[in-house]
Amino acid sequence: MQRFSKAGLLRLNRCHLASVCALAAALLISAPPADAQPPKPTEFDVKAAYLIDFGKFIRSSSQLPRSSFDICILGRDSFGQALDALASNETIDNLPVHVLHPDATDAKSCGIVFISALEGDNIREDLALLGNADVLTVSDASDFLQRGGMIQFVLVQNHVRFTVNLDAVNRAHIVLSSELLRVAASVTGKPPAGGQP
Amino acid sequence: MKFWTSQSISDKLMRMTLLVSGTALLLAYISFLLYDVYSLRQQLMNAMATEANIVGANSVTALMFDDKQAAEITLSALRNSPQIRAAVILRPDGTRFARYLRDPSVPFDLTDRLSLSETQHFWTRGRDILLGSRIRFQGGWVGTVYLLAETSDVARSAGRFGLISAGMLLICFVLALLATSTIRHLVSDPLTDLAHTAQVVTRERDYSVRAKIPASSDELSFLVQSFNEMLEQIQARDRALEASRAELEQRVEERTSELSMTNKELEAFSYSVAHDLRGPLQHINNIGFLLQHSASENLNDQGRMLIDRLLEGSKRMSGLIDDLLNLSRASSHPLHRRLIDLSEIAEAIAARLLSEKGIRLVNFNISLGAKIFADEGLMQVVLENLIGNAWKYTSKQDSTVIEFGSVEENGETVYFVRDNGAGFNPRYADRLFRPFQRLHSQSEFAGTGVGLATAYRIITRHGGKIWASGDIGKGATFYFTLPYAGE
Repeated sequence: MQRFSKAGLLRLNRCHLASVCALAAALLISAPPADAQPPKPTEFDVKAAYLIDFGKFIRSSSQLPRSSFDICILGRDSFGQALDALASNETIDNLPVHVLHPDATDAKSCGIVFISALEGDNIREDLALLGNADVLTVSDASDFLQRGGMIQFVLVQNHVRFTVNLDAVNRAHIVLSSELLRVAASVTGKPPAGGQP
Repeated sequence: MKFWTSQSISDKLMRMTLLVSGTALLLAYISFLLYDVYSLRQQLMNAMATEANIVGANSVTALMFDDKQAAEITLSALRNSPQIRAAVILRPDGTRFARYLRDPSVPFDLTDRLSLSETQHFWTRGRDILLGSRIRFQGGWVGTVYLLAETSDVARSAGRFGLISAGMLLICFVLALLATSTIRHLVSDPLTDLAHTAQVVTRERDYSVRAKIPASSDELSFLVQSFNEMLEQIQARDRALEASRAELEQRVEERTSELSMTNKELEAFSYSVAHDLRGPLQHINNIGFLLQHSASENLNDQGRMLIDRLLEGSKRMSGLIDDLLNLSRASSHPLHRRLIDLSEIAEAIAARLLSEKGIRLVNFNISLGAKIFADEGLMQVVLENLIGNAWKYTSKQDSTVIEFGSVEENGETVYFVRDNGAGFNPRYADRLFRPFQRLHSQSEFAGTGVGLATAYRIITRHGGKIWASGDIGKGATFYFTLPYAGE
């Protein structure tokens, strides 16, 4: 993936998120003239934004006190600085957002784990290591849901969308907001029968 | 103003009631309408704010995950709010994310946008209201929703309130009618009755009528009562007047009959006196005559002179008695009217005077054809007196003109006898016709003072008038009128 200058990245993001937009508004003063069409955000810019947004629609039953909301990336980091830039301006449940690159064994305390499609067969292993930890697993691997992942990025008409495996979500003690499910491209599995834990 | 002055009181009251209630209703109608429009607008704005919040909350994830379809499904729920014509959701960068049009053929151009510092704003575009509202999520905002709604039909609520007001006006009209009938009963009817009574009183002078006193005890009943009392007083006064007039008339009648009786007695007395005096006077006259002719040689000059004076006195007394009898006859003699010619009578008198006392040069000027309907004997007496007077009072003139004629004055024939004799002082003109009143001494012009009184009596009995004009030394004219209808 290409690398972006910070300002360029922010322009590319097209204020997709409120926080980004606020920053953009601050930076637009120094930005090129408004009639200059800003470049379309890349697929990974969108995915980075979505990752952080997912965090806002998760409720975890974990009682562990946290000092930060960690987004962990397993395998190759294709986001470049986009994710770091976004994360530094965001909070989730009033916690600062950190982007980490731990080993799979250390990823149980993460809020969200993104597994790169490039992990290939390691994906199954990584998921096994995570077990039923209260971690939202996300990947852009094509068979991620079949392998027991929770959310998988898909491309629909050149748009980044996502699919959800509710069974996998239910195994971990995570509740995804119905709002999130509403905008999912597809949802497999059944919602929890016994209401919220 | 004619509108107010030409109607009856009850009509005026009814009009006034309707006018006042109509005005009140109109004001109420307008204020209710304004309030309704205002409150409906407020309600709509509140509803719009709520809708915007719901739409915004339901569009958060759609905005965050760029799901236009989800946002449009959310927006399509606005179909249940018929007043919302259009809605649009904008991304934070101002590009359009999702749109809803109630009527797809009507485009929706967003001309007003929220400024960065605003989170919510209403714009009014004629009948439409535009709301812009930030879609907030976790302390930030993820987009903006704009709703365009039309205020509910003002005409519809105007119609609704108009219907209600018309109904109320109808009720007011009925109430006004009821009030008017009450007022008519309480005020107008007594007033009409009073006016009618007043009219009857004025037109027929009937003070016995009374206005009906109304049952209520207000100023009106007081007025009617006062009016009735006034009528009563007038009636009492009228009655007293009537009574006193009747009494007066009776008294006058009594006095008149007393007077006429006394008068008749007096006339009968004077007639009998005059008549009875004639015999002894004739006796004296005869003896005097005998003395003068048979015994005058035995008397000296003084004796003869005394006899002359006795005869003269007796003659004067005889004339006086004749005059008195004439006067008496003039009063009591019944009138026998027929058509007579005064000119002929005057001619005869003039001829007699000229032949009896023809030593004088007298020019009689008698106009002919003075025909009249009167008692011949009495008119003869009148003319003899008037022409005789003229003869007497012109006796000292060198040439005498005595005129008899008539003039038309005010549609009435006025006869006159004019002379150029001694005349009289006009200050005493009214004394001329009183018996025994004379303006000249016996030595100047001999007379009894009864002649003109007799003429006066006769003319008056014929229903005519007699008067005189003249001055000392300038002759005298006696006028009289004789209407056909007399006594």
